[in-house]
Amino acid sequence: MPRVSLEWTNGRRETVPARPGERTLEAAEGSGIDLPFGCRIGVCGTCTGRVLSGEMRHVESPRGLRERDSRDGYVLTCIAVPSTDCTVEVGTDVRARLFENPWR
Amino acid sequence: MSTHTADSHGEEGHSHHETVGPGYATPQAAIEQSERERVAYVVGLYTGTDVDAPDFLAVVDVDPDSGTYGEITDRIEMPTKGDELHHFGWNACSSSCHMEGLERRYLVMPGNRSSRITIVDTENRAHPEIVRVIDPEEVHELDLSAPHTVHCPTGGGVMISMLGNAEGELPGGFLELNEDLEIEGRWDLPGEIEMNYDFWYQPRHNVMISSEWAAPETYQPGFDIEDVEAGKYGHRLHFWNWEEKTVEQTVDLGEEGMVPLEVRFLHSPEATHGYVNAALSSNIFHFFEADGEWHAEKVIDFEGRDLEGWEMPVPALPTDILVSMDDRYLFGANWLHGEVWMYDVSDPANPRHADSISVGGYFGDVREVKGRELAAGPQMVQLSLDGERLYWTTSLYSTWDDQFFPEEKENGSVMLKADVDPRRGTMTLDEEFLVDFGDLPDGPARAHEIRWPDGDCTSDVWQ
Repeated sequence: MPRVSLEWTNGRRETVPARPGERTLEAAEGSGIDLPFGCRIGVCGTCTGRVLSGEMRHVESPRGLRERDSRDGYVLTCIAVPSTDCTVEVGTDVRARLFENPWR
Repeated sequence: MSTHTADSHGEEGHSHHETVGPGYATPQAAIEQSERERVAYVVGLYTGTDVDAPDFLAVVDVDPDSGTYGEITDRIEMPTKGDELHHFGWNACSSSCHMEGLERRYLVMPGNRSSRITIVDTENRAHPEIVRVIDPEEVHELDLSAPHTVHCPTGGGVMISMLGNAEGELPGGFLELNEDLEIEGRWDLPGEIEMNYDFWYQPRHNVMISSEWAAPETYQPGFDIEDVEAGKYGHRLHFWNWEEKTVEQTVDLGEEGMVPLEVRFLHSPEATHGYVNAALSSNIFHFFEADGEWHAEKVIDFEGRDLEGWEMPVPALPTDILVSMDDRYLFGANWLHGEVWMYDVSDPANPRHADSISVGGYFGDVREVKGRELAAGPQMVQLSLDGERLYWTTSLYSTWDDQFFPEEKENGSVMLKADVDPRRGTMTLDEEFLVDFGDLPDGPARAHEIRWPDGDCTSDVWQ
C-alpha cells in the first residue's frame, strides 16, 4: 500500500496510506485530512499539487492541467493515484503560482 | 417542498396589469411598490482557500434602522465544500406575475466548480434553509457541467446556463428544472452553441441572448493569456428563438468584443435593446433589433492605463453591468482599475457618462472604507429597485482573484455601497457602509453575487 506524504508550503506535513487505485484526495480525506478541491473530475485545478518524489498517474485526462505543468510534476490530486510512495506538495498556493498576472 | 402553479397560463400576459403571482406588473410598478431592501443575500465562498469550510449564503442586514446594520446576520453553509458558489437566482420572478400561487421564495444556488445545485427556501427571510440538493452526477448525466446563470421562465421552473459538458469541455448548454426544482432535462439540443456564459430572455420578442466565457477546463484553473491567443475564449453573442430553442443568429463581436459576459436587456417588455460587457476587451456593446435582424455595436470603450513598472497597459476589466429598473442608467464595475460607473442610456445607442466613483483596484482614489483597506476593485453590482442605492462586492472568481488581487484570499472581500441620485445622475460613496467578509468565524471569505428577496434589476423579466 503506497504511502503519500503531504507537504504544505507553511511547513505542515502529514503521511497517509493509499489503498490500491485510490486517488490522492480521497486517500487524504480517508485519513481525516482536508485538501482543497472543486470539481473532483480533473477539470477545475483547485486541487493541484506537485509531486516532489515518487510516481503518480492520472486515472483520466487531467483537463485542468496544462501540458507544461504536467511535465513539471504538477498533478490534480482528485484524479491522481500514487503508484509508489510519494511526496506531494499540496495547498492552494501550489496552483496559484502557476498563473500570473499577464499585465504585470 | 412544493411550488404551486395555477392552471391558467398567460394568454392575457401583456395586457394583464393586476399581479396575482410573484413580482410586479411592470418595471415602474417594481419601483413604486417595492419597499426598501432590508436583507441582502450574498454568495460567500471558501473554495480555493485553505479555510476548511463549505461556501455559504450570507444574510446581510442592509436596514439602516437595525442594530445589526451592515453585518452578516446568518450564514447558510452548503452541504459540502468546493462548490464555488458564483451566480444564483430565484424560482420565480415578475415574468410569472400573473401566475396565482407561485411565490418568489426559493433560491437556486449552483456550484460552478462542483456542478452541485442547492435549493434554499427563504420563507424565513432572516434564516433561510436548504431544502434540496441536486448532486453533480445528476447534472453530468445530461452531459452538462459548470452551472452559471439562473433565470425563471414564465410559469414556474428554472433554466440554468451550463458552461461545459460532463467532461468540463465544450459544448455547454442549458439545464431545466421543473416547478418542484428537480431536474427536468436539457433545454437545448446539444450543438446549438459551443461556449456559454450568461443569458437573458425577452419573451414578448421571442428572443433569448446568450454570451460566451470559455470551457470550464479553460477558465476554471486560471486565466492564461495564451488561451486567448489560442481562441479558447469567447467573443460571440447568440440570439435564440425562445420558443423553438434554436439559435437563429450569431453575432461575432471580434477582437473588441473578447469575453462578452453579462447580458442585460432593458426591462421594458417592449424593448429590443440591451447591453453586454466584453470584459477582456474592456468595451460595452449595445445590441438591438433593426430590420428583422439583431446587431451589436461598441458604445463604450474603456482605455487601458499604464502602471509604473508594469509591462503592458492594464485593462479596465468591466466584469459586471446592470440596467436600472427604469431603463435610464447602465451601471457597471471596472474590477482592475477600481471604478463603478453609471451611464445615461435614455438614448440606448449613445450612452452618456453620468458619474463614476474611483475606489479600490489598481487605480482607485479611495483606498479604505471605515478603516478597512481595499484591494480588489468593484466587481458584482446590484442596484436597489428604486435605483437609489448601488451595492457591490469585490471577488471575481477564486482562481482569477489569486492572479490579480491575491489579497481577496488573505483578507476576504468587502461589500460596499453608493447612494445614487437618479434624478441628477450622480453617485456618492457611503463611507459609513462596509460589510467585511474578512471578519468571519471560519476565516476570510470571498463575496460574489448579491440578490434582494423582492427581486432585482438583474433577474426580473416581464412577459
